[in-house]
Amino acid sequence: MSASIAPECNSIKEKYDTCFLKWYSEKYLRGNTTSNECDELFSKYKKCLNIVLKEKGIESMLEDARKSMKDSEAE
Amino acid sequence: MKFFENVFTYDYSFPAVSLAYFLRYPNPYSRHVLTTDVIDRYVDPKTHRLHTTRLHLKKSKVPSGILKLLPKGIGGSDSSGQSYILETTIVDAKEGWMKTESRNMEWTGILSVIEKQVYQRQPNEGAVGRLEELSLEEKRSEQTTVRTTVTFHSRFGQGKLLGRKKTEHTGDHTGEYEEEAPKRGLFSSLSTAGIQRTIELIGLNRTRDAVVKSKQGMNVVLERLRSGGVVGVLEGMRQDRDAVLGPDGGPWKRVWLGGNGHASLKEDDH
Repeated sequence: MSASIAPECNSIKEKYDTCFLKWYSEKYLRGNTTSNECDELFSKYKKCLNIVLKEKGIESMLEDARKSMKDSEAE
Repeated sequence: MKFFENVFTYDYSFPAVSLAYFLRYPNPYSRHVLTTDVIDRYVDPKTHRLHTTRLHLKKSKVPSGILKLLPKGIGGSDSSGQSYILETTIVDAKEGWMKTESRNMEWTGILSVIEKQVYQRQPNEGAVGRLEELSLEEKRSEQTTVRTTVTFHSRFGQGKLLGRKKTEHTGDHTGEYEEEAPKRGLFSSLSTAGIQRTIELIGLNRTRDAVVKSKQGMNVVLERLRSGGVVGVLEGMRQDRDAVLGPDGGPWKRVWLGGNGHASLKEDDH
């Protein structure tokens, strides 16, 4: 599995990734699109990740990138 | 602006290709991809489409050709050799398509590279179109086409060097350049257009290689998926890692940080 930018989040990320891959291949791609079985793991992973994104100053960079993405859609 | 376009067909079903897309790092052709994180993901309750935003950290040296064109201090000493890529994906499993967009988040004034891909299920003749029948296993006649479009845009010398606000990583050199840019006269603005074209061309040339590598990587992942399912892909990743690191994993960190971004990992920067 790919590594997280935040080494301390690797283990929760791996759990989440595994859950997602199972859900995606066994349910979503087979037409069962309403499910939240990985939500809990995802919010734990995100909580871990967000701390690091803030520390590294990536969060503000993300906002800018999203903005310019919207701009280019509007063009 | 420069454009790159390419159409390619995978001999795999759409579900397999879309799964491989999310699973594609690491693979033997992606040594330059250091980390991947999911920062947002949800299913749109109306369309049932899956939206995903991921952040990749890639190893990338500013090409020396571009470096030469830049004012002193930019892209040089402070450049960490890493860059952030933001990737958004929308999957519609029912209609059998996936759209992706990837863009660089830093240095967008020097060169903004936006890659868009549209993956589309190719209906095979006489096949039953019901979704429940689609499996991840290979169906011989089923194919998925991907159209890749890459846009290169340099705003070099237009006083908006880094796009928007400064970031902590690049702040030191930004101010210096932004003050300098508006003072340029007609003569230098003519050459600015030339520099922009050159920068865009260098980006274009790099992309040709990158697109080939990315297909090779996808094909490795797809082959592993066909022979062993998701477990097979994960096992393949482990084997790749062991092959590079040796069983003890000792030089892991060194390779991780010191690789040169190409398939060869034997180089040691230290």
